[in-house]
Amino acid sequence: MSLGKEMSLKKMSRTHVNCTINGDEVDFLTTDATSLLDALRDEVGLTGAKEGCGTGDCGACSVLVDGRIQCSCLIFAPEAEGRHITTVEGMADGEHLHPLQQTFLEGAALQCGICTPGFLLAAKALLDENPAPTETEIRYGLAGNLCRCTGYDKIIRAVQEAAVQLKGA
Amino acid sequence: MSIGQSPVRQDAAPKADGSIQYAGDAVPDNALHAVIVFSGRPHARMVSMSTDAARAIAGVVDVITAADVPVNEYGLTMLDQPALVGVDHTGVAAVDGAISRWEADQIAVVIGESRAAAGAGAAALDVDWEDLPILGTIDDALAPDAPLLHPENGLPTNAYHPLKIRRGDLEAGWADAEVVIEGTYTVPHQEHAYLQPEAGTAYIDDEGRVTIEGGGQWTTEDREQVAHVLGLPDERVRIVYKAIGGAFGGKEDMSIQIALGLAAMRLAERGERRPIHCRWSREESIVGHHKRHRGRIHLRLGATNEGIITALEADVTLDAGAYNYTSNKVLGNAHLTVSGAYRVPNARIDSRAVYTTTVPGGAFRGFGGPQGAFAIETTMNKLAAALDIDPVKLRLLNAVVDGDEGITQAVLPEGVTAVEVITACAGRAAFNEPMADVEPFAPIATLPPEPTVTRRGRGFATSLKNVGFSFGFPERCEAEIHLHGDGDEPTSADLFHGGAEVGQGNHLAMRQMTAEVTGVTLDRIRGHFSDTATSGDPGSASASRLTFMSGNSILGAAEEAEKAWRDGQRPAIGRFRYTPPPTESLDEETGEGQPNFCYGYMAQAVEVTVDTGTGHIRVDRVTSTHDVGRAINPRMLRGQVEGAVVQAHGYVLSEDLQVSDGFITNPRLSAYLIPGIGDIPTEVDSQILELADPLGPFGARGVAEMPFITYAPAVIAAVHDATGVWFDEFPLTPSRVVAGLRNAGI
Repeated sequence: MSLGKEMSLKKMSRTHVNCTINGDEVDFLTTDATSLLDALRDEVGLTGAKEGCGTGDCGACSVLVDGRIQCSCLIFAPEAEGRHITTVEGMADGEHLHPLQQTFLEGAALQCGICTPGFLLAAKALLDENPAPTETEIRYGLAGNLCRCTGYDKIIRAVQEAAVQLKGA
Repeated sequence: MSIGQSPVRQDAAPKADGSIQYAGDAVPDNALHAVIVFSGRPHARMVSMSTDAARAIAGVVDVITAADVPVNEYGLTMLDQPALVGVDHTGVAAVDGAISRWEADQIAVVIGESRAAAGAGAAALDVDWEDLPILGTIDDALAPDAPLLHPENGLPTNAYHPLKIRRGDLEAGWADAEVVIEGTYTVPHQEHAYLQPEAGTAYIDDEGRVTIEGGGQWTTEDREQVAHVLGLPDERVRIVYKAIGGAFGGKEDMSIQIALGLAAMRLAERGERRPIHCRWSREESIVGHHKRHRGRIHLRLGATNEGIITALEADVTLDAGAYNYTSNKVLGNAHLTVSGAYRVPNARIDSRAVYTTTVPGGAFRGFGGPQGAFAIETTMNKLAAALDIDPVKLRLLNAVVDGDEGITQAVLPEGVTAVEVITACAGRAAFNEPMADVEPFAPIATLPPEPTVTRRGRGFATSLKNVGFSFGFPERCEAEIHLHGDGDEPTSADLFHGGAEVGQGNHLAMRQMTAEVTGVTLDRIRGHFSDTATSGDPGSASASRLTFMSGNSILGAAEEAEKAWRDGQRPAIGRFRYTPPPTESLDEETGEGQPNFCYGYMAQAVEVTVDTGTGHIRVDRVTSTHDVGRAINPRMLRGQVEGAVVQAHGYVLSEDLQVSDGFITNPRLSAYLIPGIGDIPTEVDSQILELADPLGPFGARGVAEMPFITYAPAVIAAVHDATGVWFDEFPLTPSRVVAGLRNAGI
């Protein structure tokens, strides 16, 4: 509890961060103690990544950092310096949803939707690396993400379907 | 035709592209931030609290305490909880507002320019407490010398809301019994773990209403509770739901809403009208909101050698925690379901809730049903084993049919389909055929399977669950439809409805039903949802009731709108308030009465593999059979079944809330383990029956809770089938399984 007191009493120094977010060069001011998740949401204005736990257990805050799936709640914002970040807002190509987004919504692989951005990015990272995953590989690829609504089966089917579509594309 | 199809939900694209706004996302730039301070004391009397140091911290705008609370009592069904615990509370309430009765009793709302400032202010509150005895368990609370947690209710004990059932001639029933099965069952807490922790923003709207944007399950009920504490008429409070990140019963009761409303009202009076935002961390959410009830059920069942039930005695005790929340209603459901979907001619059932100084028990998918079903279904499976009768056949011998009385001596509402559901489930699961081969099970993924220590088994369970509110609680649902168009037929429509979209897809189901009855195409149905300024009383998104109730309200509103249309009104407006047949509270001595107007019936067959070396269990196949009356949107319906099964999978296998001396000691998703994608059943087969309910819209019943209720006893039976060991307590964590197996010499 004393940490909070010190934080507000001490004037936090501001750090300038330059990075690429969803293909755009972005710079923002943050503090050394701010998570990348909070910086994305509060400084950059991208609220697609969600805080489900703040401790790296649920994956709702997942983003791609240089193509790797990461919990943005576990990364300090200044660590994004020079990195390429992809959030769910960067998955669609203009008006055209990414095939994963399309198969998730058509296959009812989302209900409340809080976990969806994280699952989509984890699935993208998986398919970028392994375009034809087995069901077991899909489960491993998405093992860092929790969903409390769907029971996961429709998520697995949506990833399988997207893999087929991407292969044909 | 719109119903019976599975169009894509209107909120799917914004959920998939990240643009949809949940309460935690829609934070105005100029918002102040509120931190709600918990007492951190399971049982203590506040001696003093000074806010001076907190107020002196830079960035702290204000501190709201009990002195700011006009009416310091609230509760969804009983006014037994202070809004803010404090020494200088107003005294309007019957409940003593100076006592903290659980670790998350709220004592102050600190408002700051930033979350950090508000957090610093919270840490600087100076509070003195006089500790009182911690009643950490049901037994502690029932000890003769235990202090009374709620002396204001006039009862001489911490037990309350006693319920009875006295049916038939129990002595004769026991005399007829040729076999008796008796056991005591212990059921655990369960945390909802919706992926979105509580969040909201409060402000004074253009019409001067205290407005709270957030999440919940029943707009007008939230409004009533907030207005009561604020001392305002209902219409001076407005509740608006943003997108809601899951609820499952966990957002039925108040969490942050009253604190936010108080803050917005008091700050506005002091000239500060910036919006106030609050969001809970996961830890605050787990510590700060209610759980599925833990409890203890003793059950004794007598039957003939042929398997016909002759007598049943049950004793049900649920841990209500510090405040009632909906414990009295949950208890009522456990009280009814503990005798199952069976003809029980002679019965004696006693149930009560008990106040303790722990996290309150409250609503959670199934609402007492899972606890009751675990006891009776495990008992039935033991009876089948004792008599060497097929568990499906045993159930068919005893299942209720149309015209039968339920356990409360009232004829069950028409449309009893227990036999059809049991038969269909057993057939689909091929329950009496040998099990199909499965992949070898390796509980530790990096090690090869060890076939000599794995055993397989299967289990069966069935039950019934009420659709809609019970026991005479006023049940209603309101809808308003506007029809537009220039020609003979309407070409577009507006639907105004309060029903909560908590992820289940109800807003699409409502639009589909509106399209079906108005003839307007689905894409021309505009929904205006969940704002008390524009929509009526929906009742809650709970009790598997919303499709049933909203559908009937929409049918009525459409009929009114069509009348107006034929009369030439443009737009043609129809409003309707649907009320189902009334229900009754049970007779205090005999339990007689008609508690419900509709039930859903379900059965499940489960196959498992148990690793007797490590105690790990894999569920290989689940057949989940439901009579839904009519599937409005089959794909979303299957999503409800699959989601409920996996939630129940966590309940019976892994979710283990640790509560010690009144404190939750594992309030994190790293230590409270909900199922991940690698933990789930290998196959969930949803079998949907459509046997029309006489009262349901288009014949529909509810389904959201049903797949949860029977899963735990079905898994427990399958584990017994595999190992010969009965587990009367769960979750079946590997350590509990190993202990049970070793105890049995395995």
